[in-house]
Amino acid sequence: MPGMLEIMVQNMVNIPLIQPLVDVLLKIPVINYIVALILWRPIFAVLIIPGLGAIMLVLMIIVWWERKLTARVQWRVGPLEVSRPIGGVMQVMADGMRYFFQEVIVHRNAHAIYFIQLPILAFLPVLLPILLIPAGPVYAIRSDYAIPAIVALIALIPVVIIAMGWASNNRFAYIGAIREAFMYFAYEIPLIFAVLAMMVLYGSGDPFVIVEKQTVPGILLNPVAALTFIIATVMATSRLPFEIPEADQEIAFGPFVEYSGILFGLVMTLAYEKLYLMSLLLTILFLGGWNGIAIPILGDFMPPFWLFLKAFVFMLIISLLRSIYARYRLDQALRIGWSSILAISIISIAISYALVLTGWLP
Amino acid sequence: MSEMVRFLHSGPLAPIKRWGTKWSLWPVHLVTACCGVELAHAYASGYDGERLGSLNYGISRQTNLIIVEGAITRKMARILKMTYEQMPDPKFVMVMGACGLKGGLFWNGYHMVKPSDVVPVDFFIPGCPPTPEAMLRGIRELQEKIWSGEPRNSISFNKIDMLRIGSPRLAPPSPKKIAKTPLVKVNVDRSEKWKEGGIIVKEVSDLLGELASSVTITGRNRICVFVESENAVEVAKRLSRLFDHVKSVNVIDVPHESSFIIEYVFSSYSNKKYMPILLTMASRIDREEAKFPSLAEIFPSADYLEREMHDLFGVWFEGNPGMGVRFLIAPDTPENPLRKDFRLEEEVYTGGDGR
Repeated sequence: MPGMLEIMVQNMVNIPLIQPLVDVLLKIPVINYIVALILWRPIFAVLIIPGLGAIMLVLMIIVWWERKLTARVQWRVGPLEVSRPIGGVMQVMADGMRYFFQEVIVHRNAHAIYFIQLPILAFLPVLLPILLIPAGPVYAIRSDYAIPAIVALIALIPVVIIAMGWASNNRFAYIGAIREAFMYFAYEIPLIFAVLAMMVLYGSGDPFVIVEKQTVPGILLNPVAALTFIIATVMATSRLPFEIPEADQEIAFGPFVEYSGILFGLVMTLAYEKLYLMSLLLTILFLGGWNGIAIPILGDFMPPFWLFLKAFVFMLIISLLRSIYARYRLDQALRIGWSSILAISIISIAISYALVLTGWLP
Repeated sequence: MSEMVRFLHSGPLAPIKRWGTKWSLWPVHLVTACCGVELAHAYASGYDGERLGSLNYGISRQTNLIIVEGAITRKMARILKMTYEQMPDPKFVMVMGACGLKGGLFWNGYHMVKPSDVVPVDFFIPGCPPTPEAMLRGIRELQEKIWSGEPRNSISFNKIDMLRIGSPRLAPPSPKKIAKTPLVKVNVDRSEKWKEGGIIVKEVSDLLGELASSVTITGRNRICVFVESENAVEVAKRLSRLFDHVKSVNVIDVPHESSFIIEYVFSSYSNKKYMPILLTMASRIDREEAKFPSLAEIFPSADYLEREMHDLFGVWFEGNPGMGVRFLIAPDTPENPLRKDFRLEEEVYTGGDGR
């Protein structure tokens, strides 16, 4: 199909840095299809950056970073000996390989079919928002309703986690699933309100419009909404002050207690993937999206690079929370979720309306 | 299925699997004794076991290494086995401390189990308790074992040729000691320690009359009443006017006299005059046919203690509903573990040529 190749080549990511190599590769018969497919913008967005490849990179580095940071806070060294010259970054690979080759136990009381398929199904709500998150010219779907759709798709992840707790058929898993449900309601409404406040401020749900309007980053325009969003992110991803559904000292990892081997490897990364998605959303809404210093040699790769870098730096900072906070009780988390955080999220909507109505925003 | 397992163990992916397992030994630690402190030390800031990729984890489903820290009792052995069975393959076990090796401090204890009898142990770390260095060395050796496939001893001992030093010496024979009879006397008279106790002793003697063989002051505020076992119930009934509960029930095993001494210690919370006083009712019964009337009807607090004594000594308290049933000790514990003639079966190692 020459027509197919032409469609892909016309809509390819243009990176001056590797353009000579791409030109050579496009002349080879079979490889040109593969190269054109990978560099085709929708596929590039979903598979490379900000999609699957970026997620893998984030998972590799953020878990190591988190362990290393916690170790440094506790005056330890952290993972090191596995690859001494590069500071133990391979630790996550080693853990992953160990999980990959370990036995997967499906215990007798589990609802086996759901128990096995749910960790894999959980990737759907993780990967679907990637379709809607644009990185400048590299995007899969452009929509006026992208931001609400992303929030709605991310909100599906807790449903899968609750289903895992049910399918595990274990008392700790039940307790964890119920805690997850409680927390879900506590953070989801402030989160939606914070996103709503920014959409009111920019007057659109289209990420392109939102990024275009951010000559001043949104975090300066509406810091209250940013604060709400960050706290809701911490709650949504079970980071430590709100690590209530998975409290391993209390309920032995809650919904994930019965998972072993590669299935646990899959579910353990869910929180990090969710954190990555929320960071991308936060970058688009508050940190100016893919706006950044122009690097001509990167070409079309520059906006994804800046988007990824901002989100990644935010994730690195959020990682510090695990080593410096203690855990809230469930009732305390619910209390602040339903009182103060809900209150400031409503205030943030009011601020947005005030800014729009007084005409401060261009 | 077995082909898949063989593929995993020796196929082209096996080095990756071994590498991953080697650098990701996450221990779930079974803290049963003081070695847990040393494990905490080994993973804290001074030594930092996480350097080796070993992360302490609480749950057995997601880990691959059990570190048994210390003595394993018969009840704990069940939990050790459960923990091991919950763990997905490949899994490893390390045992810390002298207690896990041969019993250590609790050697010949009726309640002790060797961890190697319960689960396959990969490495023992001797010491009481082992130092954090030894603990981390054990982790390193386990990593080496996973990588190379065969365990090796990390310690080499100096060999000393005994024949060159001199002729072997024999240990002197142990001196023979014959116990005095009676060896155990529970009613030693110490009335000089409690001069003003005569009034109370007289009250007690008047109350008991002919039923008591002797009423003795054995210390300040301590009285011992020696009775025959057939009179025990009547004595207890009369004493229940003065005392309201049994503090403890003891059995003393005197095998060379072929008898048990049963002691009931009475005390009072309600009778102000008798509050500071502990009255011991002692009685001697035959060791072969160890039976004693239960006082649980008169003093309900004796019920628990009698059951416990039945567990440990096999004394049959007639009238107590809990006789013939295991009460506190684990079901597989040998009979009568606290009797003096109780011995555990012990493995015996002999040299190759019978010397």
